[in-house]
Amino acid sequence: MQQVTKATHSVRRPKVPLSRRFTRAIERDWQLWALLLPALIFFIVFCYFPMYGVQIAFKDYKVGKGIAASPWASTKGQLDLLKHFRNFFNTYYCGRMFADTLLLNLYGLLFSFPIPILLAIMLNQLNSKRFKGFTQTVIYVPHFISTVVLAGMLYLFFSPSTGIVNKVIEAFGGKSIYFMLEESWFRPLFIGSDIWQNAGWNTILYIATLTSIDPQLYEAATIDGATRWQKIKSIDIPHLIPVAVMMLILSCGSLLSSNTDKALLLQTSGNIKTSDIIGVYVYNTGIGKAQYSYTSAIGLCLNIINFIIIISVNTISRKVSDISLF
Amino acid sequence: MAKEEKVRGVRIKETRADRIFNIVNLVFWIVVLFITIYPLWLVVIASVSDPDAVLAGEVLFWPKGFSLMGYEAVFQYNELWTSYANSIFYTVVGSALSVIVTLGAAYALSRKFAGKRVVNFLITFTMFFSGGLIPIFLNIRDLHLYNTRTVLIVMNLVSVWNLMVARTYIQSSIPNDLYEAAVMDGANHFTYFFRCVLPLSGTIIAVLSVYYGVARWNDYFTALVFIRDRSLLPLQTVLREILASLSVSGSSDTFFAAYADNLGGLQEAMRKAEVAKYCCIVVSTVPAVLLYVFMQKYFVKGVMIGSLKG
Repeated sequence: MQQVTKATHSVRRPKVPLSRRFTRAIERDWQLWALLLPALIFFIVFCYFPMYGVQIAFKDYKVGKGIAASPWASTKGQLDLLKHFRNFFNTYYCGRMFADTLLLNLYGLLFSFPIPILLAIMLNQLNSKRFKGFTQTVIYVPHFISTVVLAGMLYLFFSPSTGIVNKVIEAFGGKSIYFMLEESWFRPLFIGSDIWQNAGWNTILYIATLTSIDPQLYEAATIDGATRWQKIKSIDIPHLIPVAVMMLILSCGSLLSSNTDKALLLQTSGNIKTSDIIGVYVYNTGIGKAQYSYTSAIGLCLNIINFIIIISVNTISRKVSDISLF
Repeated sequence: MAKEEKVRGVRIKETRADRIFNIVNLVFWIVVLFITIYPLWLVVIASVSDPDAVLAGEVLFWPKGFSLMGYEAVFQYNELWTSYANSIFYTVVGSALSVIVTLGAAYALSRKFAGKRVVNFLITFTMFFSGGLIPIFLNIRDLHLYNTRTVLIVMNLVSVWNLMVARTYIQSSIPNDLYEAAVMDGANHFTYFFRCVLPLSGTIIAVLSVYYGVARWNDYFTALVFIRDRSLLPLQTVLREILASLSVSGSSDTFFAAYADNLGGLQEAMRKAEVAKYCCIVVSTVPAVLLYVFMQKYFVKGVMIGSLKG
């Protein structure tokens, strides 16, 4: 029976020609397309045009000629499309830059990923509604501070002569530390300030998940004599895992593309050994020294690696746990 | 003293383990709130204290030797106020455009139409892959937008994330029956969008305004890359020169020169300019935080709805 209906369906379909179906769809949906159009133009002009422009990574970009007319990359007259990629991998600091970028993000993920989950669970356990609301409002506030101001606060608080942190260290008999010039302090400061600024904000998704849990579950648990800790372990955490895995997959997609804007602010001549982030190098060499083709190649390289990482993490997660983004 | 929990009228005595848990939790939150608030409080009290007390590290919990010297210096620094006006312009015009464009697209994507899958893919793909900084830069230059006010408005016009939040909101909080009823009454997509969807989207409009507004107000990097003219710079890019530098003189010379006129003596000025930095932070952060506090009521609710998919 099913086969028959399918067959008649597939026989019928070609009777309406494609062009006719197209005009019909436009007649029916043109108003939706009109509402969509401004956003679509934005994505095409500001996201897809640059993707077309990425070809200069394989060319020797000449400012006068533009993207399309510049010649393909060559060394001594010989076509050499991967020249810029090879040049990057041969730079002295290439290994250090990869390590710095990856380590900053890995440590960042390790420390700043679990904290919002913890905060959400603990917030959910607060009894007083008013205190809960107040807390929720307060922990979102640091998110609204700009990166520049955050960096400024770090420079002020951690200044060697006048900063409050060093005053406290000195008060306890310690020696003042020049935090911003100390390579071992770059990552702790970067990640610590990130947690301070965003951990509260990142609880939103988890809190939303927790409030959507059926209250009957908790009631049943209470009647069965479960303590709060037991409720967290067997109700809250299992409900949070799918969301947490999704967030983890998403953050894996940016393991090599850390906050260039923040790193640019916190990089100093003293901490360069740990703060030599690829994004900052691309900005300095690309925009600063106008080496467009070379830095486009670096950017493309990073984007491809990031893309591969997120696709593979997503695939693995789908196979292992049935949770995936797409 | 044992508290009781009520489950459908049945009282259940709180166990000892729960009481300990509650105390631990309360202490935990007091510590977290202190860590969150203290740095901000410190900036505020340092900005109104006597510079000498601030530099000596005596200002810890309460302002010491009330003084508005820092603010006087900041108010005389003209470049900061030009950029402040610029930032207000970019934020207001840019966010308004962003919200309109995002809502239109979100509504379209919440309905069924031929080609929706392709559009969805095109939009989501940009989240995971981009041309990179340099191709974007060259693209802007080829479009003759480099060093114009336009670039600061059209860059980051639509964020994929916000678009998804808005779409989910429209899908989940505006019933489909309403659409069917409206169509029965002869409404098309335009009339339905403008007469029914927009009036019911107050919450999501508030949320989007805060998201877009704060992102724009706080962005310094776009201007750093695309703007050369100092008179076009937004506040954050100018602030960067004052705040985020190690050297006391360095790139913020103009700032200290302005300060020196006021106080006499560059040496003295440099010492006290450290305190003026706290005032800069306050002056520049207040609008973003105020916007959040005023919108807070809609905000928490709207974000919750939007962030829950399906």
